Amino acid sequence: MVKLIGADKSRERDVACTHCGGSLQVAARAMSVFCPHCAQRLILEDYRVKAYKASRLFATCGDIVVEKSGFVSAPIRVQNLTVRGRVQGDIDARGVVAVSSTGRIRGDIRATRLTVASGATLDGFLRIAPLATP
Amino acid sequence: MQGRTIQKEGAMGSNTNGDFTTVIGPDAVFKGELKFEKGVRNLGTFEGQIETKGHLLIAEGARLTGEVTAGNIDVEGSVHGNLTSTGKVCLTSSARLEGDLHTSRLEVADGAVFVGRCVVGSNGAAKPTNEKPAAAPVKEQQPVAVKK
Repeated sequence: MVKLIGADKSRERDVACTHCGGSLQVAARAMSVFCPHCAQRLILEDYRVKAYKASRLFATCGDIVVEKSGFVSAPIRVQNLTVRGRVQGDIDARGVVAVSSTGRIRGDIRATRLTVASGATLDGFLRIAPLATP
Repeated sequence: MQGRTIQKEGAMGSNTNGDFTTVIGPDAVFKGELKFEKGVRNLGTFEGQIETKGHLLIAEGARLTGEVTAGNIDVEGSVHGNLTSTGKVCLTSSARLEGDLHTSRLEVADGAVFVGRCVVGSNGAAKPTNEKPAAAPVKEQQPVAVKK
């Protein structure tokens, strides 16, 4: 018997498209999917950045952790972001942006929640508001 | 300044809190410039400038419009203006801040709203200046002797 990935409803999760913001249900084990709203390919994986990473756009429906040795130079679209290293670029997070004491962010941040540890460095325009608030 | 604006806590016998020796009452509307040493709890409406090395608390339901330079700032109410802190800025869940923020430490609770430019860290403690750096002095050109 072949069991399709995603056939089990209990193992689905809700994500928001990083391109159009539309919500969709995907299998918990899925690694990428095409958005039914905008037909763009979505990455669903979590990332842990431990080195230098530069790109035109760093987007995932999962979470990103930038470790102490990590340096991301790119605009980021993500669900939750944890910064222990350096980020240079605008951040668009649908969840929490957490900056630890060693974290440094240079760029605009848009998120629903922000936690900043003592010693962290931020420089940019912030728009922190719950999703319901326009 | 309208109504019963500022009350000293010791005299009123209520709101005893060691940090906040001065309270701007919930029915008070204060317009102007305020300087103090220890701490002020704003429960009403404040429009103007605040400059202190002490602690400022903008309580839930209170409104502040203007520029603030303080040691520590706790925001529970609504602020429309720029905040500069040499210590810590706390935005609680009911806080709404629209303006620029310069501070060395920031704490944002779940539900707080913040829209504005933010500089946190050792650079953030320095008061932002709008003044442009002085232009380098222009050397006067010596008249060149022309040989005929």
